[in-house]
Amino acid sequence: MAAPLPFSESELRLLQVLLKRKVRFMVVGLSAATLQGAPVVTQDVDLWFENLGEPKISQALQEVGAAYVPPSNFNPPMLAGAGAELFDIVIRMDGLGTFAEEFKNCVDVRLGRQKLKVLSLERILASKIAANRAKDKLTIPVLRDALAATQSVKRRPKKK
Amino acid sequence: MESISFHRRMKNRVQPIDAATAQRWARRLTMRVGKVLAAHPQANPDNVRHTLILLEQPPLERLQRSLIRGRATAIFRK
Repeated sequence: MAAPLPFSESELRLLQVLLKRKVRFMVVGLSAATLQGAPVVTQDVDLWFENLGEPKISQALQEVGAAYVPPSNFNPPMLAGAGAELFDIVIRMDGLGTFAEEFKNCVDVRLGRQKLKVLSLERILASKIAANRAKDKLTIPVLRDALAATQSVKRRPKKK
Repeated sequence: MESISFHRRMKNRVQPIDAATAQRWARRLTMRVGKVLAAHPQANPDNVRHTLILLEQPPLERLQRSLIRGRATAIFRK
């Protein structure tokens, strides 16, 4: 299968191996918001894993020539190696429930034959409001307007 | 190689449309923006319009656009 637009072959392979091994993770942050139509820009794709200590993650990463690098001094936990550069690991989501609770609020985005779990726009907005960093303050109004627009599209009755 | 196939895919997505179709699309879009703003008067019309346009694209293409612009902005800042 040709790589879908945003991902290189190795990035796609990494995601597919994680999904194939049934690792529980979701896309969060602004990349998740853009997947749902929010007009914001981002430089990376944030992934939130339920349990970073899960052996399935290391096995999946090994399979594609990547590795998990645990946090040290000033460096947050990260993925390194083939196809890993695009992805950032998120270890804390402000203003949200547990991973399992938020997993229920995910939307599915098709990635070939598999489905990628993506945190819903509503919950992304909640996390940005709770985090309230300077960069979040810039995106909050945009996410709020995007949510209003997407909800209006969902409510639109289908033509018969 | 990657960039050649990317450009080919992008080129294939550009479909010729006539002026009347474009105008109909723009009118429909304006109407939809108006409906959203009627329900959410505090919303920014540009944000609403851009969201509605992006919703016409497949999710992965939306992410692609966002990453391209995000990286371009980062390069410009350096």
